[in-house]
Amino acid sequence: MNDATNRVKNMMKNLFNSILIISSLLSGFAGIDRANAQSAKGDSVVTQLDPHSSNGLFSSHASYTFNVKSTFDYPEVGKLSYLVTTEAGKKVRADSIHIKLGAKSSGSYNFEIPGVPPGFYKINFMINVTDYDDTTIRSFGVKPDKLRSPHAKPADFESFWHDAKSDLAKVKPEYKITPVPDTTKFNRKVFKVEMKSLGGLTVTGFLSEPNLNNRKFAVLLALPGYQVTLGPMSGPDPDMAIFTLNIRGSGYSKGKIDERKESWIILSLEDKNKYILRGAIMDCVRAVDFIYTRKELRQDNIIAAGGSLGGLLALATSSVDKRISFCSAANPIMCDVRNLVHEVDWPLIDIRKYVATRPDLTMDKAFDNLDYFDGKNFASDLECPTLVGMGMLDNIAPPDHVYIAYNEIKAPKHIIIFRDLGHAVARSYNVYEGRWMRDTFALF
Amino acid sequence: MRLFTTFTKTLLATLILFTAFQNMAFADGGFPVRPGRLLISPSVSYFFANSEWDSTGVKKPFPNAGKYNSVGVTLYAEYGISRKWAAVVSLPYVYNNYSQSIDPKSTNTSGLSDMETGIRYYLANIDYIYYFSLQGTAITPLYHDNPALGYGEEGAELKLAMSGSGYIGDKSIYFNASDGLRQYFGANGPWQDRYSGTFGLTLDENFKNQVSISATGIISQSDDKQFSPIVEANKDYNFFELSLSYGHTFTDQISLFATAGKFITGYNTSDGTIFSLAFVYRLDYR
Repeated sequence: MNDATNRVKNMMKNLFNSILIISSLLSGFAGIDRANAQSAKGDSVVTQLDPHSSNGLFSSHASYTFNVKSTFDYPEVGKLSYLVTTEAGKKVRADSIHIKLGAKSSGSYNFEIPGVPPGFYKINFMINVTDYDDTTIRSFGVKPDKLRSPHAKPADFESFWHDAKSDLAKVKPEYKITPVPDTTKFNRKVFKVEMKSLGGLTVTGFLSEPNLNNRKFAVLLALPGYQVTLGPMSGPDPDMAIFTLNIRGSGYSKGKIDERKESWIILSLEDKNKYILRGAIMDCVRAVDFIYTRKELRQDNIIAAGGSLGGLLALATSSVDKRISFCSAANPIMCDVRNLVHEVDWPLIDIRKYVATRPDLTMDKAFDNLDYFDGKNFASDLECPTLVGMGMLDNIAPPDHVYIAYNEIKAPKHIIIFRDLGHAVARSYNVYEGRWMRDTFALF
Repeated sequence: MRLFTTFTKTLLATLILFTAFQNMAFADGGFPVRPGRLLISPSVSYFFANSEWDSTGVKKPFPNAGKYNSVGVTLYAEYGISRKWAAVVSLPYVYNNYSQSIDPKSTNTSGLSDMETGIRYYLANIDYIYYFSLQGTAITPLYHDNPALGYGEEGAELKLAMSGSGYIGDKSIYFNASDGLRQYFGANGPWQDRYSGTFGLTLDENFKNQVSISATGIISQSDDKQFSPIVEANKDYNFFELSLSYGHTFTDQISLFATAGKFITGYNTSDGTIFSLAFVYRLDYR
């Protein structure tokens, strides 16, 4: 009987070891979390967290399996616990169990987290055993389609942007187009484009297009991340021109606005009509104006795309300028701005510092102004197909904020969620983006 | 400063987007045709057979050391009318020769055979990876009373096609699968099920070179059970063919495909071997 029991135990152990090995090999694809601790002898405790959802979303309760394997030749005793908090850090659920791992053995523990209302949550799994302490941090979402912001869009939001475009229209673009050599192997035509934008500021972009005569090209309007310098972008695609824009105060468009990086986001925050983002978004609209002057570009096939601040700019430009026909916003920042308090450090930390130096400005007043630059408020006016990318562990564009903006979109839309990424998207996002864009533009 | 590094990384990740996808050379599949694009594909093929599968599926040589050779020249074209619709036309010319050890030792036939004109509708896609199309085709004989060129009957076909593309490792792949039901309308006009499947693999990241393997076949049913070594004359038969292709793209507009195929099995049909060479020209008018 004992022999039979031992055989079964050994079989189970081998099976579990095999599963661990297979899971380890797959981890690059499945995003499984592993950790291990090694003793001087080389013994170790290895943990592995398996969420029961490929994108971290659950329709009711979240569930996980926590796997632990010990190679120590004596028992490992301790506690396995989890803590669920809101994105703002408020405790929602917690539980723990005692575990005892035999010498050179493993265990598998299932956790169900019931009764969590719709939203996104952080979950920390903590293991504390004889030779090992570790915390695995993940996020999950429950019924995110139900999420809405409690903060309404300003009633004059659309007229505010209508006025901004009217102000831009009064500024003659005075395009200055200078050919520059293509330094890549793709031998494209490249032009440096300087143009006047809102307030008479000169902004710079680069147009890169295939070196093909008598052809018309769809256009990627590539919008920059925070304080990123964008030079010409190249590539082998014979169907696409790429216009990379440096918004005011960034990269090649520093000119009169040459602030410290941290200061850009709070420039003139006290006046929504002078706030830096109003001008920056109008710079993007001016770029569309430029695209419309080029007969080799398809004005009905313009995609605005960007990540981070570029994601917000893509949402904003596509929202206020209906000439954009496809929008791709990866990790857009500043969505549902008022609820960012307690959830993100940046840009609130810089906004608070700025408010403290301005006697005529309060945080309420700052938020009143920021409402006009909130990604969720742009989202509700989008009319073109829109792709949104989101990292569940993003601490700059938190998932609940991005999803609230996504829920506001009434146009055809799709969101790709990366369960184990922070402020980034994976290649699969770009692949989907390219496929959907090509289908939308009929570039079969 | 780490924050700004993160932003930069995010941006760059977003801007690699379009370099990965480029048109591969598809024709006559489930993929939609770009509006305003005219694809012209002249091709030449050589078909040879000196044996047959009889009505019981037994393989045997043609009687009297017979040999069948056929050279075909086909002009295929498709044009993207709109996002959803494309027009398709195929105009074949054949030269057939049957030789044997008894009189008549050699018989030649040549001429235009069955023209096909069709219209294709882009039905749907799944995640922009798998595309589905439906095509209706009219078959019009361009000859009279010449069984060596075809049945001499009008016909119609409805074909469902599916195509997809993606990656296996770092290689781009694509596939086409289609099934068409065809009816010829004359006396004993056969019902035919024409099926085809292709799997292709690009050999380089610039989509310059590709190889593909295809499986095609026809199941043709008719009350007319006669067998002729001249393939075009048979009405009740079936065959299954495997072929290998190599494609080279010279420019975005011009590609060349070389194909070798062999009948693997059949019934009431010749055991054929086929070689073909097809140019593909893509001209954009939009």
